[in-house]
This record gives sequence, C-alpha cells and structure tokens, in this order.
Amino acid sequence: MRGSSDPGQIHIRRIGAAIATGRIGVAPSSMSCFIVPPYLLERLANLDDPRFERAAAAARASRTLDDPFRSARVQERPGARQAQRVPREPIARRTLEPPLRTIYDAGNTESLPGRVVRKEGGPAGDDQSVTEAYDGLGRTHELFRLAYSRASIDDNNLPLDASVHYGRDYDNAFWNGTQMVFGDGDGTVFRGFTSSLSVIGHELTHGVTQYSANLEYRGQSGALNESISDVFGALVEQRALRQGAAEASWLIGAGLFTDQVQGVALRSMMAPGTAYDDDVLGKDPQPATMSGYRETEDDNGGVHLNSGIPNHAFYLAAIELGGNAWERAGQIWYDTITGSLPETADFSVFAGRTADAAAARYGADSVERRAVAAAWRKVGVT
Amino acid sequence: MKITVVRSGGIAGISTSWEVTIDDRDDRDSWIGLIEQLPWGTAARTRAEPDRYSYRIRCARRQVTLAEQQLTGPWRELVERVQDAAG
Repeated sequence: MRGSSDPGQIHIRRIGAAIATGRIGVAPSSMSCFIVPPYLLERLANLDDPRFERAAAAARASRTLDDPFRSARVQERPGARQAQRVPREPIARRTLEPPLRTIYDAGNTESLPGRVVRKEGGPAGDDQSVTEAYDGLGRTHELFRLAYSRASIDDNNLPLDASVHYGRDYDNAFWNGTQMVFGDGDGTVFRGFTSSLSVIGHELTHGVTQYSANLEYRGQSGALNESISDVFGALVEQRALRQGAAEASWLIGAGLFTDQVQGVALRSMMAPGTAYDDDVLGKDPQPATMSGYRETEDDNGGVHLNSGIPNHAFYLAAIELGGNAWERAGQIWYDTITGSLPETADFSVFAGRTADAAAARYGADSVERRAVAAAWRKVGVT
Repeated sequence: MKITVVRSGGIAGISTSWEVTIDDRDDRDSWIGLIEQLPWGTAARTRAEPDRYSYRIRCARRQVTLAEQQLTGPWRELVERVQDAAG
C-alpha cells in the first residue's frame, strides 16, 4: 500500500492527514457521513500507515458508533459454534475492531482450552509458543482487516482463542470450529507448530472459510478448503515480511521440520511435490497439475494432497500479476470465498468463480481476469 | 492375524502406518479380547474438523475409519498398543 500512486489513495491520505492534524473533524454521528463519506471512512480505517494512526482510529470509532445492525447480528448467532454463512452487508455498516486475543496453555493435555496465559494487550512472557501464537494471530487478523476489510474470522469481530502445548509430542495443529490448537511437535521430526506464521495463518483461515464459503471438508471441496488456508497463510507471512510475489518463498510451514529431516517445509505452492524428500517421511506427494490428481480414501479424500493444484494456480496468477500477492490475487480469492460459492464446489466451479470475481472487480477484459483464467488453464483445470 | 493402523491427514498431510502380527505373541489372548469388544461397524461418520488426523484400522476382514475426535476408549487403547508394539 505504501508508495502507491493511485490517485484515490492520495486523496484519502490527504483527508487522513487533515483529520490527523485536526483540520477536519470526524464526529461520531450521522453528520460525519456528510463530512467524510462511508467508503472513505472504511478506507481510512484500513490505512496501514502509522502516520495516519489517529485518523484511522477516529474513523473506526465513528463507524463503531454508527452500526445499528451489530446487536442484531450477535443475536443471530448465539455461541457461533457451528459453521454458518454470514450474509454480506453494506460495507459502511460493518465495524472493524482490533483483535481480541486470548492464549491458553493446555499443559500437554488434550483438555481444551486450558489455562489463560495471555490476554489482549498483556505483556509477553517467557514462553515462546505463547508469544508466537499471540503475534501470529495478530498478523492474521491484520491481513484480513487491512487488506480485505474483514472484521476477524467471522466478519463480526469474533474473539480469537488459541491453545498451545496441546497433547504430548503432538505433531499437529488444527482449528476445531471455535479455536486454534497447536502441538509442541515430537522434537525429532517436528518442532513446535507455532513457529511458522504460515501455519498460524492457515489455521485461522479455516475459521474464515467456515464462516464464509464453508467448503465441505472432503474430496475436491475439501482440497479447496485446504488450499484457501495455504493461500491466506502464505499471504499473512508475505505481508508480515513485506515480500512481493516474486520475492516470496511460497512455502507452507517453513522451518517446522527439525534438522534431521530432509525437507524445507510441509508444502510448496511454487513447486508442489518438492517440499521434502526424506528416507523416513517419504517424498512430498503433492501434484501441481490435474495430470497428477489422485483419488484416495485417506485424509478425507486427499484434501492435503490435491490442494497442490489450486495452490499452484494461485501462485501462477499472483506471479503473473506481480507486486504484492495479497493485493489483487488475494482480493480475487477473498471475493470468491465470500461470494455465493457452493459448499460442494469442485476445482472447475471454483476456477470459474475466481474468473468471475476478477471480472466483477477489475473488468471482463482486465489483466487480472486473464491472469486468473490462464493460471487455471496451466494447471489443467477447465 | 495382522492389525494395521494408518493415520492420515493432519496439517502436514503425511500418512504413517503401524502394523503388528499377534499370532506368535505371548499376549495374544489379551489382543483378541480387546479386538472382540470393539464396536466394529458402528462408528458414525462425523463432521470433519480441518487438519485433524483420520485413522483407518484394519484387522482381518474388519475395517473402520475414525476421525481423531472419535479415537476414544478401547479404540484409542488399541491404536496406542499397535503403535507401541510396532515400535
């Protein structure tokens, strides 16, 4: 976003500067809509620039006070335990609040959530897993809030809960429908699962998918569910590292393996099938194109296997577009999962919807739509 | 008689299997006792939770697939016993 020459952006920055210096007031009343229109408030609230911190905060406060739909929405979803689709609402009605994180320590048991060890705004302690989880949740929340104006994973400011130190030597991390859970790894093959930002982003994105497209976790729709978590997990990491598409590693779970494993990560979106090749673990089995698609009963029908195909399609589209992948390519994928995608969508349906989303946002003859369509063709999805 | 456990899924998506042949083991009877009390064929398919493990347990002609959340009681006992015996 920084260094943008977009005239709209410059206009917003000028207004932001005016608010920050007190030349324009942002009154928390409906009158403010005349001074600063809702779409500008929205963009101001999302400005990722410390110079406009005050303006952004003022804009956020203004919108928070002007949101008659919020209490109704809370009543619609008591507990929000089960997967539910959230209806799209007019952008000016949504509030975008900062994250509300709570980190728990499961104490190497399988009881969830465990003991509270850090709340929002609390100081960092000595436990590295707690710090990594807290920071990773923050980075993920930030990508969705600032890049896509999404208010937490449910788009209604859901508090973020995560438990660390789950189980004994537990080689996994997961989203259980309400919270994230991270194991410490066994120390021989895997290190602790909070050590990778793309893994934390991956888990939280399962929550986003649950509250949006709610793709069925089986077969191709399950592989899409997995791929969406890899896509936004990678984007959280790229945005945190300020890496453009061309500089990024496109690895998921880099650094999770110990030195004893011949491998760099769990998956590679740039080159699916090349993340590891180890005498104990075997070789990364992911296909990059439909010619390598495999039917299997294990892993809910190969959801972590065939996700290599949509992963690679995203990579190809992002590389073709260049710049920051979370901007145009990420926006198109985000529009797709928050649109009217069926829960049982297969690769072909999803590919069509991404092209439609690109056309809707950037135009039917845009480079964005053409890049997306070409990416799917290259991986053999038509 | 062979008992095979295949664990698939997890965020890593790496499958691991363990196998034990019980015929010549001293504790053969206790294995058979455990296998006979298992509710084979009654496990309902649950809503899959993202990145959880999936367990496929096979013993002679009987086979069951369980989500990680369903691996409780005697099922868990069997799987842990197979994992220990397989080293």
